[in-house]
Amino acid sequence: MSNLVGAFFTLCIFSFLYKDNPFYQMSEQLLVGISLGYGLVFTYTRTFIPYVYQPIVLKHQWVLIIPAVLGMLYLFRFSRKLGWLSRYPIAFSMMSVGASVPLGIHATILVQMRQAMVPIETFNLFLIFFGTIAVLLYFFFSKAHTGIYGKFVDVGKWYMMIGFGASFGLTVMARISLLIGRIQFLVNDVLGLIK
Amino acid sequence: MKMTFFERIQKLDRRYIYIVVALAIIIPLMVPYNSDNVTTAPSENLYQMIDSFAGREDRAVLLSITHDASTMPELYPMEVAILRHCFERNVKVFTLTWYASSAPIIDYAINNVKEEFPDIKSGVDYCNFGYKPIPLPLVIGMGDNIANTMNTDAEGRKLENLPIMKGITNYNEMNLVVEFSGSVAGMTWITYARPKFGLNVAVGVTAVMAADEYPYLQSGQMIGMLSGLKGAAEYEKLVDVFAGYREAGIDYRVKTDANGKKILAGRPFGREILKDESTKELINITTQTTAKFTPADFNAFVAKYPEQAGLLRQLGKEDKGQIKVDVAAITPEQRKAMGEVTYLDLKKMSRDIPYKFKVARIGMNAQSVAHIMIILFIIIGNVGYFVQKARQAKVS
Repeated sequence: MSNLVGAFFTLCIFSFLYKDNPFYQMSEQLLVGISLGYGLVFTYTRTFIPYVYQPIVLKHQWVLIIPAVLGMLYLFRFSRKLGWLSRYPIAFSMMSVGASVPLGIHATILVQMRQAMVPIETFNLFLIFFGTIAVLLYFFFSKAHTGIYGKFVDVGKWYMMIGFGASFGLTVMARISLLIGRIQFLVNDVLGLIK
Repeated sequence: MKMTFFERIQKLDRRYIYIVVALAIIIPLMVPYNSDNVTTAPSENLYQMIDSFAGREDRAVLLSITHDASTMPELYPMEVAILRHCFERNVKVFTLTWYASSAPIIDYAINNVKEEFPDIKSGVDYCNFGYKPIPLPLVIGMGDNIANTMNTDAEGRKLENLPIMKGITNYNEMNLVVEFSGSVAGMTWITYARPKFGLNVAVGVTAVMAADEYPYLQSGQMIGMLSGLKGAAEYEKLVDVFAGYREAGIDYRVKTDANGKKILAGRPFGREILKDESTKELINITTQTTAKFTPADFNAFVAKYPEQAGLLRQLGKEDKGQIKVDVAAITPEQRKAMGEVTYLDLKKMSRDIPYKFKVARIGMNAQSVAHIMIILFIIIGNVGYFVQKARQAKVS
């Protein structure tokens, strides 16, 4: 039965490909409503009950009242007069930003730089080295992109074009995969036609 | 002026294109064909790392699943394939999510794979930590002590009391995390756990995200990556060729050898095996009903079941130097007479792959056709554009 309901709403959403229609609109509104309701109940049962209610009320871990109250200050966003209170939990959560700065720099910049400085022993490493220099110089705007320098930084542009092409190809692949998933659901799970 | 073919294509109603796209996907799905799926280094490296934990008490894999139903077509087959690999090769596996909507997906994946492995037990062979909010303190805490940090599993059991925790303390033992997401969620592990604790990180990502993840693969911060449906299809193939492989003559009901050493199902990874012609027999995605043996293998298989030897020899038919058994032709009476264990072992030798373990490869058939079609559309569209431009220049 659940498969039939899923199939019906899948077809309702696909019907938009022909043109906008009441079936599509009904499915769209239902999706928004169900997602919101599901999220609300899920947050209550999987977050509030096990991480707030049970430890404080049943296990008497009173210290957890502090983060719970701090978190609830977010709700003052809805009050014009007391809205400033919601800035405290935001300020507190900035702590994680502080923690992530040094480690983030290490993971995303320093290690990447180190790997770009290895001896150029293979052709692939040469391509990476050459491409890194060319792309970095492409974004250096204090010198006009003319003459031999201009031709060199153009190579950086080609590198980026190839990168965009790869991204586009992967995006097409991802979107087609989603369609395949839905059609596999319709053809196999609902109709049982894949042998 | 009469319109040329290319001009007509330029003005084609987009709904015709949708129909062509739908047909390009539906037809290959309904008429599956056996196609090879060449495996790539990022998938092979991940497979080898997980396989190196096979049968070890002091090693485990953590699967972190951070996605909802919208990216399931790409990520779910990866999760199923890796869980199957772990269950086949006796690798301890933990699962968790930071994303509430992923919790039912984890249960769904585990239960789906477990149907084929009746001996696998929660808390012994695998453990689901379930949904845990706020990743940062837990990612760092597990580097010190997993049981103290996660405290309970999804069923509310104390971790320290579970048999699976024997030999597992922190990232020294749970030495690999695989993050499944349609985002850069894998960066949490690369940023916080890898530099501080040396945790090995791999990701399973949607194809859209793959381009963003490659730099971390190249720099060695990630040991492997499965990208999109293609990555899932590659892993499915590797599991069929190695972890899911069964020798006709080995009795896998016996769990330890004479020296008390674990007998593991499957076989270790080997690149030369992937190139071998015989591998093609193991990766057919069409339904297989015939178990094929060499005469020596058939004798070894029959020797495992001396009480059913007569029936098995009666079923075996010699054909071109091979002994073949048509599993589909076995009658219910014959199945009852040989027993379910023998029947399932025989069925396994037909190398038929259950649908759930070949979903991504069936999808890749449709993907290939759709890609060829899209390339044709792009070429025709471009040629049409330039033809139209040339005609307009001529007129003006």
